[in-house]
Amino acid sequence: MLQIYRRLWQVNWAEQWQYRANLLMYLLYWLVSPIVYLAVWTTIANSQGSVNGLTANDFVTYYLTLLIVDQLTSEITIHILAYKIQDGTLSGDLLRPIHPILTNCLVNNLAMKVLNFIVLIPIWLLLCLLFHPNFSSVTIYSVLLAIPAILLGFAISFLLGASLTCLAFWTTRVYSIGEFYYAVVLLFSGQFVPLQLMPPVIQRLAWFLPFQLFRFTPIEIILNQMPADVILRNYIVGVIWLIISIFLFNWIWRQGVKRFSAVGA
Amino acid sequence: MINFIDSCYNANLMTEAILVEKLSKTYQVPEREGGFGAAVGGFFHRKYKDVNAVQQVSFTIQSGEMVGFLGPNGAGKTTTLKMLSGLLHPTGGQAHVLGFTPWERKRDFLQTMTLVMGQRSRLSWDIPAADSFLLNQAIYRLSDADYQHTLKELDDLLELSPILRKPVRNLSLGERMKCELAAGLLHRPKVLFLDEPTIGLDITAQARIRTFLEAYNRRTGATILLTSHYMADVTALCERVIIIHHGQLKYDGGLTDLSRRVAPFKLIAVALGDPCPCDLSSYGTLLPSGDEDGKQLIQVSTRDVAAITARMLAELPIHDLTIEDPPIEDVIERAFQG
Repeated sequence: MLQIYRRLWQVNWAEQWQYRANLLMYLLYWLVSPIVYLAVWTTIANSQGSVNGLTANDFVTYYLTLLIVDQLTSEITIHILAYKIQDGTLSGDLLRPIHPILTNCLVNNLAMKVLNFIVLIPIWLLLCLLFHPNFSSVTIYSVLLAIPAILLGFAISFLLGASLTCLAFWTTRVYSIGEFYYAVVLLFSGQFVPLQLMPPVIQRLAWFLPFQLFRFTPIEIILNQMPADVILRNYIVGVIWLIISIFLFNWIWRQGVKRFSAVGA
Repeated sequence: MINFIDSCYNANLMTEAILVEKLSKTYQVPEREGGFGAAVGGFFHRKYKDVNAVQQVSFTIQSGEMVGFLGPNGAGKTTTLKMLSGLLHPTGGQAHVLGFTPWERKRDFLQTMTLVMGQRSRLSWDIPAADSFLLNQAIYRLSDADYQHTLKELDDLLELSPILRKPVRNLSLGERMKCELAAGLLHRPKVLFLDEPTIGLDITAQARIRTFLEAYNRRTGATILLTSHYMADVTALCERVIIIHHGQLKYDGGLTDLSRRVAPFKLIAVALGDPCPCDLSSYGTLLPSGDEDGKQLIQVSTRDVAAITARMLAELPIHDLTIEDPPIEDVIERAFQG
């Protein structure tokens, strides 16, 4: 199995390098929204002194950490898989004796992350020089403690993203459903605004949803801002959502493949 | 290392490789009238129509057989192949391929068969075919020795070496089809489903693919079910044909039997030595012919052909006369209608 992943990696890696302009534009798209949020919130915090106790520098630190966490936990499955279901080219993947999502699609996601980091790191260092984030609270332990949260966050976001994309087996086109889903993720993950600035009802809801593990929880663990009992609770919520996501994905994939009409192919 | 010739003996034991029993597939297809109003109406109230793509089709194919699967566009050929390769779930009936139920998509089943589609690529377009082949080596868990051995055999048959290092998108259609076939055969499948493997290729490339398939079948004893719109593919490769039309089985048997049953006539092509006001229609049905070499075509019943030929030779100033079988395209066309 390791050999399969190794070869898939080589193929995906080679493919992604083929389109340099596409890669660069994709990364810029990825960078734009956190930087816009950073600019907006630091401006507001500067004008008011702070927002709910968060200073301009807290926002800078939060969003620059988010840039890294976002890359690690997000997924692009809808862009890899949806068109294949729509135009029937998934047939080629289904004929192979491997699971197309848990192999090729997963490796494609990972290859994209590594490539993005190659370009992201210099830009991120430049942004740090410009905005002076305060990483004094970050320790090796806080980073190590955040790693399982990042892995959980990616696993859940990958499985939910794949489940959502599988809706294309029924609806054929799934991009608008995807837009809605990513808007929900934006709101409840802490990407749009740190969750402590949300109304209490939204905050309470967010703790029971998996999306806070995509951004907010790993960021707050890295920055040493999350109490131990909250970390424990979020880990428990994460494990429960991981189990739900596994079952959901398995079910929707099996049902979807049964419905697959392999149009044109 | 498994030898191609050894596996040939194993596969050639006459066992059922493909067993199809009352296989059916019905698609639900959205349907609406043309125009703006119908488009808006269809948004609120969508109508569906059942399309019976395959209806109660049954047949058996023995190990090592090469069978032509024929029918006009929309007959249900590709749908059947998709069900037999595990891509589609049927709405009724059963099928077994090498003992597996295809749509259960068991790993061992996928490992042992292949579906090659002439109009669709399974290779990654952005990288050379050699890289996709290496990926297949890992996916199908082929040892280095087996992989190199099979690749060499495929290279001998298809002359792949000059094209393996070019990105697939830069290959010609014929070159790409060779790579597609090789990619589908690296794991030495025991059952091959080939859907229009020569479509769009020039005559030379078609002949090359045909020669390859014949050699592959002979060497490995693989079972091959082939659809093609080129009758030359079928006549060159398949002694047996299965014909479906509107999703229903119309014929299953030998090609020669088909001619005898569906088109029990011969064509007499005759060139007259001198222009004569003879009425050729008195010998049989006069057919419109290309007439480039001055010959006229007369269709006569097979059982009368000897007597009519003798009469013509006695009564007409004949310069040249040949007796031909009807073109296989016509025979198949008659079978579709039958």
